[in-house]
Amino acid sequence: MKITTLFVASLLAASVSGCKLVKTGDSEAAADPIAEIVETTFDTKLVPALTEKAAELATLQNAIKGSLDKAGESYGVRVGGAGGGWNFPVKGTATVLEDTRASTKAGVAEIDVDGDGKADATLQLGPVVKGSALRDTTNLYDFSTFRDQIEYAKLGRALNDKAASKLPAADIELKGKKVNFVGAVVIRTASEKPLITPVSIEVAP
Amino acid sequence: MKLTKRLLMSVVALGIAGAMSGTALAADTIAIITPSHSNPFFKAEADGAAAKAKELGYATMVLVHDDDANKQSELFDSAIAAGVKAIILDNAGADASVAAVQKAKDKGIPSFLIDREITTAGVAVSQIVSNNYQGAQLGAEEFVKLMGEKGNYAELLGKESDTNAGIRSQGYHDVIDQYSEMKLVAKQTANWSQTEAYTVMESMLQAHPDIKGVISGNDTMAMGAYAALEAAGRKDVIVVGFDGSNDVRDSIKKGGIKATVLQPAYQQAQNAVEQADKFIKTGKTGLDEKQLMDCILINAANAEKLETFALKP
Repeated sequence: MKITTLFVASLLAASVSGCKLVKTGDSEAAADPIAEIVETTFDTKLVPALTEKAAELATLQNAIKGSLDKAGESYGVRVGGAGGGWNFPVKGTATVLEDTRASTKAGVAEIDVDGDGKADATLQLGPVVKGSALRDTTNLYDFSTFRDQIEYAKLGRALNDKAASKLPAADIELKGKKVNFVGAVVIRTASEKPLITPVSIEVAP
Repeated sequence: MKLTKRLLMSVVALGIAGAMSGTALAADTIAIITPSHSNPFFKAEADGAAAKAKELGYATMVLVHDDDANKQSELFDSAIAAGVKAIILDNAGADASVAAVQKAKDKGIPSFLIDREITTAGVAVSQIVSNNYQGAQLGAEEFVKLMGEKGNYAELLGKESDTNAGIRSQGYHDVIDQYSEMKLVAKQTANWSQTEAYTVMESMLQAHPDIKGVISGNDTMAMGAYAALEAAGRKDVIVVGFDGSNDVRDSIKKGGIKATVLQPAYQQAQNAVEQADKFIKTGKTGLDEKQLMDCILINAANAEKLETFALKP
């Protein structure tokens, strides 16, 4: 059995305690198990899961104003213990007020959801993407099935890179445009401006 | 009946303890084993665990392994012989510690790991692991921002034998290497030591006077580096550390070191004891074995809320 098929099978079985991932000499099979996970789950599992469970950003922000913990219990999942936060799948339609990709590698779109001309949230445009919201917001990727936090972090990075590769190219100026987005966000305090990691941004015609 | 069950458990425990050489302990005891307390981070862990253990009615056996896996193994033997009910451990090596945790398990003593993970699952009951990689990414993101995404920088590495030294460096580079105008001009270990970092920083500065920033694997090295920079009249150099110590907090408040990353050590240690207590009483914790605990960025905006490796609300 090819090591990659075996690996994916055991990942799905979710019982790989103590298993060490070993590269085989098989040059045909993907020697990179992380890339394999991304290829086999991003489009077919992660995006659908986020899209299906996504709360409207405006609804979420209203709920957070009432109580972050209650909003978390209704719409999200708590990750990372004391240092972590509430992870939410999120979607919405907004106007882009600023597109910072020309001036920084950690490019973002400042977005206005409620039409008051002020930025309500930020969409990460890449190429440098921060955080691990895409990895942590669904139950698709369980830390206990990874050898250590380094491997787990590599998955987070690979998912971020994959997501960024699907967004509008840097030469498409987003400022002033209306966009539909789906993504994930981690919120730690009720007052912070959400920094959303999108899996898709569609420019409305 | 509860009383009978407790009596039975105590008899069994005394039986186990009595079967070995060494004195059996009168009260239920939890062993707390960490690296040396000379680093305030590990002292905070030990203090946090001991406080929670006492609160829950346990006696404590507090031991230090000095990052020596052999010494750690001997300490495990002592704890086992003494008949402790559980071991809270910040371990001396991800691979090397598996055997010690396994032998305690074989003798019916559960281990609850904090901070550092081991590379085998199913041996410890809990591994409450500091997400050092995520923390390093946070520190590096702040460092890159302060550097304006460009410039020459140096890196101070931790002790090579400590897994966290490698994890943090990888986390730093995961972020920084995405910025082509950030140039690494010097990279050297100062072995987690403040005095060593002072000397290393001095020589780095002489070899590379155009250094704009220094990213350090931990706070004690950041303190040493900053002292050397200050002595050389180079307070302009941007320094970022890792751990969230009171020393670096004070430096940040004075505008010296610019940022650090907090591992919630005190809370982690307390959580471990709570899980140990639940396991002792019910046979399970109700949680997954591996629990990642995220780190928090500390800079001028929140430094005054930081006290002994915990953020005040």
